[in-house]
Amino acid sequence: MSGGRDEILSSIRARQLVRTPKPEIYSAPKSEGDLAESFAKKLSVQFADVRLLDSMADVPAAIADVLRGKNMAQRVHIAPDSALALDLPGIEVSREPPGQNEAAVTEVPFAIAETGTLAYPAGKGRPASWHFRPVLEIAVLRASDVLPELEDVLKRLGGVLPSTLNLVSGPSRTGDIEQTMELGAHGPKSLAVLVVKS
Amino acid sequence: MSTKPRVGLFVTCLVDLVRPQVGFAAVKLLEQAGCDVEVPAVQTCCGQPAWNAGADGHATDIARQVIAAFEGFDHVVVPSGSCGGMIKRHYTEAFEKDAAWLPRARALAAKTHELMSFLVKVRSVSGVTAQFAKTVCIHDSCSSLREMGVKAEPRTLLGSVDGLTIDELKDQQTCCGFGGLFSVKYPEISERMADDKIADACATKATVLTGGDLGCLLHLKGRMARQGKTLEVRHAAEILADMGGEPALGEP
Amino acid sequence: MNLDPKNFPQAAREALTDPLLRPALGRLKTHFGAGRAAAVARYGDFEALREAGKAIRDYAVTHMDELLTQFEESVVARGGTVHWARDAAEARALILKVLQDAGAKTVTKGKSMVTEEIALNPFLEANGIVPVETDLGEYIVQLRKEPPSHIIAPAFHLSKEQVAETFFASHTGLDPKRSLVERNALVQEARAVLRRSFESADAGITGANFLSAKEGAAIIVTNEGNGDLTRLLPRTHIVVTGIEKVVADMTDVSVLLRLLPRSATGQPISTYVSVMAGKRGADESDGPAAFHVVLVDNGRSKLIGTEAQDVLRCIRCSACINHCPIYGAVGGHAYGATYMGPIGAALNPGVMGVENAAHHANASTFCGRCAEVCPVKIPLPKIMRHWRAVEHAKGLAPKSITAGLGVWAFAAKRPGLYRFGASVMAWFLRSIGRRGTVHALPVMQGWFAVRDFPVPQGKTFQAQWRARK
Repeated sequence: MSGGRDEILSSIRARQLVRTPKPEIYSAPKSEGDLAESFAKKLSVQFADVRLLDSMADVPAAIADVLRGKNMAQRVHIAPDSALALDLPGIEVSREPPGQNEAAVTEVPFAIAETGTLAYPAGKGRPASWHFRPVLEIAVLRASDVLPELEDVLKRLGGVLPSTLNLVSGPSRTGDIEQTMELGAHGPKSLAVLVVKS
Repeated sequence: MSTKPRVGLFVTCLVDLVRPQVGFAAVKLLEQAGCDVEVPAVQTCCGQPAWNAGADGHATDIARQVIAAFEGFDHVVVPSGSCGGMIKRHYTEAFEKDAAWLPRARALAAKTHELMSFLVKVRSVSGVTAQFAKTVCIHDSCSSLREMGVKAEPRTLLGSVDGLTIDELKDQQTCCGFGGLFSVKYPEISERMADDKIADACATKATVLTGGDLGCLLHLKGRMARQGKTLEVRHAAEILADMGGEPALGEP
Repeated sequence: MNLDPKNFPQAAREALTDPLLRPALGRLKTHFGAGRAAAVARYGDFEALREAGKAIRDYAVTHMDELLTQFEESVVARGGTVHWARDAAEARALILKVLQDAGAKTVTKGKSMVTEEIALNPFLEANGIVPVETDLGEYIVQLRKEPPSHIIAPAFHLSKEQVAETFFASHTGLDPKRSLVERNALVQEARAVLRRSFESADAGITGANFLSAKEGAAIIVTNEGNGDLTRLLPRTHIVVTGIEKVVADMTDVSVLLRLLPRSATGQPISTYVSVMAGKRGADESDGPAAFHVVLVDNGRSKLIGTEAQDVLRCIRCSACINHCPIYGAVGGHAYGATYMGPIGAALNPGVMGVENAAHHANASTFCGRCAEVCPVKIPLPKIMRHWRAVEHAKGLAPKSITAGLGVWAFAAKRPGLYRFGASVMAWFLRSIGRRGTVHALPVMQGWFAVRDFPVPQGKTFQAQWRARK
């Protein structure tokens, strides 16, 4: 198919009059204060249930509580090879992909304080589709993994992108009917984020 | 030897034809602000109808005439954001590739002002001596807002008029639907936009609609006359020059 | 349903009398218009952000050949394939070949205006492949066999009752006595129905909001998550997008991601931002096994080096559309084209030809609100005026207007004649006026169709001024 490529590139080159210089790197307004708190505040406004926990030991009880709050069974899906090593007594754990009415617990490698965003580079133990399949996603995040901006996440990834990098900033929503927001269009209807301080 | 600034008044074709009172009001206000006002006889039109229609040849011919007639003044003042915007913003566009006329267009642009912003910003006028004991709403034309940066100045001046109260439109940013030839080419859309603006004006406590652009005012008053609506319409310059007792636009 | 830009005046007239459209357009203003204003106020120095966005997109447009080449290298290095389509027909053929090679029978689609532009869906259907739109608004208009009426809110023009009616008519396997009165019920039903499509699709087609040259990534933003299910579940993922979408790197994308959602809906960030850099990794359990990008020219490259070049900076946010008073009066369908409102007016005459899309460039008051809200500072009215100049130079403008302007200009260049003519006109209008206005004239019928004309005061200003001296 080189015909199309050559013609398009020639068409562009033949018409270029001016090449503008590469602009200075833009510096966005910085958020003040504690990154994890900033993150929690931003994401809570977007209809997510954000909880600050003291330690990983508090996670199982929080998961159980989130499920109860949504009137869901004490059952979650966790990806095979997930780095999450959680002891969840009383909670059934499946390693199968979650169905559209089920809950998944996911590990969050990085989060972004500026926008209240969870950053999920896909990889082993971190299947990208799991952020979209279930009706409830419970995300486990360490406070120390909250970075200021997307640019910082990209730096941490060392310029090498995974096949998919998903940035999630709330449960799924749509305003397509009469400009009125409804949650749970395709992706999860609910997003709970457990931010673990240490 | 006079040290007063020499101001060339660009009257505008609509003021000249339909509402000369606005021109006389502008002269009075400028003289009160300490200017020597002249009205070059060769002026006819700023060329905007031709420019907006893409008739660039006609537009540049007319623009050269304007530049030549006005470039000798200290300031050029226009009782209109639309014509002012044409001279101040679009003459340089029209002569972008013309090495002879571009510098002249730039020079003229630098000293062209809409009337009310000239009074406030250049002549430091903070108030006028006039009486108009009515409530007015103010229509900011798109060109005044976006091409000439005029927003606070009409309010400063009108606010100083004895007895005058301002009750603002709810939506001060949406076009009234005049747009020059647009009003003739797409009348039904123009009508809808006018009706929205008129409904907004009628929903205020104002009995008078005023603004700095006669084109918008003619379009809105013309539509109101067709609808049987009775809001009084005057160019702001008339109120500021204490001519508010004369018949309003479209009144016999 | 208007599908022809030449029909704009009639379609606009009909739209103005559509009782359901008016409240829908009002909602657009309240939500998107007010949303953007609030987001801009909260941001701080939004002007600096717009300048940064403009500079990034200017660099991209003026280095488009280098960046597209770099993008292709990066994609290929990660095992993907890039296809180059000169026009709509070639794009359709390339996409079909990929799908046929993959043995695809059902295809899910994330939102893509470029696939609308190239009329992909009817072509796939004619070739025995079923495309299923998954963005809720696109899904609804697909069921109704209508084009989208807005570039990011395709079904904004519909009431929830109309959507319910459509679902009752299309989702025939479900209980006809079920309630679809609540919006939430409609959303839940679409979710369930489309989940089956997502899971069974052989291939997924998405658009791209941006292409990042350095990393070989396509970036999409959604609020629903449908784009991700479209990409991640099937074996084959095809990105279809315009050549002008490419930017230098992910740092540039990060800046544009601050501008796009705020300008579009007023959100600081879209719910889902997905950076898609190729096929699944070796140790990954989901994601496509094949990654294709179809780059579509279709008239874009020929705008480079012209007065319309700046239109290529567009990031398809819809801010211009949301703030345009003409769009706000007639809605999207009246335009009869994929791109409507100010961006349509600036783009369509260039890619469809001035003779076809003249109305788009002419149906504007040049109020300038679009340029004021454009996140990348495209001088939209200036470009529309350029198309009017092209139209005039080609002799395509309506004869009555051109003739009238000719007469006007003739007089305007001759001050003595003008002053005489104006005096006569003032006297004439005053003499035929009744109670302060003129009701009709044999000329300027467009004016008098809906308005009176206020009668002149008397002698012209110039005549009176000369008399005083």
